[in-house]
Amino acid sequence: MISDGGSSRSEYAVTTHGLSKRYGRQPALDGVDLRVPDGAVYVLVGANGAGKSTLFKVLMNLERPDAGTAEVFGLDTGRFGPEVRAGIGYVPERQDAPHRAMTCARLLQHASTFYPEWDHAYADHLVRALAVQPQRRVGGLSKGETRRVQLVLALAYRPPLLLLDEPTDGLDPVVRRRALGLLAEHLADTQATVLVSTHHITELESLADHVGVLRDGRLVAQMPRDELQHSVKSYQLEVPDGWEAPPEFQPTGLRRATAGRVVQCTLVGEEREVMQRLAASGAVVRGVIPLSLEDSALAFLPEDPS
Amino acid sequence: MTAKARQPRLRDVLLEQVRVTWLALRIPSLVGVGLAAVATVVALPTLIRGGPLNINGWPTWIPGIMGSLMPIAVWGKDERFGPGFLWTLPVDRRRHAFTKVLAGWVWLMAGLVVFLSWLFIMARISGEHVVPRTINLLISPAPPMGLVDPATVRAVPWNPSFLIGLVPFGGATGCYLLGSALVIGTRHPLRWVLGVVMLGALIAVISQPLGTQFGITWLAVAPGRAMEILVGSRYGLDALLTARSETLSTTATLTTAKSLRVWWGIPNLADWGVATLLWTGLGSIALWAAISRHGERRRI
Repeated sequence: MISDGGSSRSEYAVTTHGLSKRYGRQPALDGVDLRVPDGAVYVLVGANGAGKSTLFKVLMNLERPDAGTAEVFGLDTGRFGPEVRAGIGYVPERQDAPHRAMTCARLLQHASTFYPEWDHAYADHLVRALAVQPQRRVGGLSKGETRRVQLVLALAYRPPLLLLDEPTDGLDPVVRRRALGLLAEHLADTQATVLVSTHHITELESLADHVGVLRDGRLVAQMPRDELQHSVKSYQLEVPDGWEAPPEFQPTGLRRATAGRVVQCTLVGEEREVMQRLAASGAVVRGVIPLSLEDSALAFLPEDPS
Repeated sequence: MTAKARQPRLRDVLLEQVRVTWLALRIPSLVGVGLAAVATVVALPTLIRGGPLNINGWPTWIPGIMGSLMPIAVWGKDERFGPGFLWTLPVDRRRHAFTKVLAGWVWLMAGLVVFLSWLFIMARISGEHVVPRTINLLISPAPPMGLVDPATVRAVPWNPSFLIGLVPFGGATGCYLLGSALVIGTRHPLRWVLGVVMLGALIAVISQPLGTQFGITWLAVAPGRAMEILVGSRYGLDALLTARSETLSTTATLTTAKSLRVWWGIPNLADWGVATLLWTGLGSIALWAAISRHGERRRI
């Protein structure tokens, strides 16, 4: 796995050690060693079924791992489930709301009982900002409306850790922008740590400072966002006939687009080192193009989802 | 980090569960009130005529039915298995499940008080007693076979201890605990109930011809005996639910063609106490095992 090293363990809000989980024969998590620095906005990227939601459930102690451990703020999630959950604002992947017979206002009141730090004024602010209709029955809410209620439920007690599983999924563009604004506001006020999974990396580009990539249950990369963008670049190459990329580039998810003898490659590694290896393989580097955060992260995922 | 986030007080969790459980019980409660209203309307002409309602023949198994169905109303909408909202809350899951069970029990007892009060009021209006003051005891301590000779029946005054009033509550509690264990501990409780009933019926159907054909007497009578032990024995289900008033009495036809509720034994409250302890103990153990399926600790 490609990762940042060096930082001491106490700096992390979330850590997992060799976390593995299978559903039948299908591995959902495979030896995941996650490190989410305290106060970071850590964006977790991965294709559908890569294991993102399973990882979140393990951190909430909603799923038991088959192997490995997970810690949130130094507390083992299996041994201290309630203590861990008391400090987590969780938006689940699924958008089915609980207590369907309740009104939204009653559901929020219900949730407030369980969080002594619940900030009623802040909850009201969130309700207004996300246009939640307090008198609507939860069972009658649309997918997007349910998601808004889930966001209020997750943020209203200002938890030190937010686990957001596709938080903007189902939201219309206006509410999506508002929700991201509220998240930014929340981070400014609380210095909370955020672990967020998303398929829309661009919308979190201004907030993200760490990125992890899950691929088939394995964490294939995690690093600070600057380091990611520094180490993943697009190289324009002029190559001889029958040229093949050096084998060390293959496992990291090399992407290439070919036009005649000119090849456009997305490669991972220190730029100078990459250029030396390319030169040694017979390619001539015509240009190096920096990538967006999304493109950098996608470099670790297979181009063919099958 | 970041100061450790506080957890809710158990008292607050319990009170909230009591409030939330009521929301889940509103519709079943309305149905119950509706049924009582219909029963009252049906009874009105008899009351106006001054006739007896035969209140002491009331279906004594109703509290047991209430206790058995209550867990479905309490847990029916919750995602018991999987990452349901209940389990995402910062309360120890086992403790949380217990508070929910307790909240349901509180409402069950409240519902039972309302039901018995209605029954008591109806009895007072018709000038009867919920618990009969006199019972028609057969001389022979066995169920009657065919017509009953009035000479074999004697009216005996019966003045049971006030503890008789606790019988419906004990029966409902025992059934509630067992029902809760089934609902919390299994993903498909209805399938389990149907499966067990069908298996029992199948065994009953097969064992008698098999036992008769191969001359295995115990096999032929085993299902009947098992049912008798389970339901009608000294500490069986009927002892829990009715202090055995259902299995110790029946409505018999006398040789004079008159119908009469006759008894061949007097309900024994000490037996009821033991049965209640046994069944609620069994229910508590089953509940503990069921709730443990949702515990926090890992298997590894």
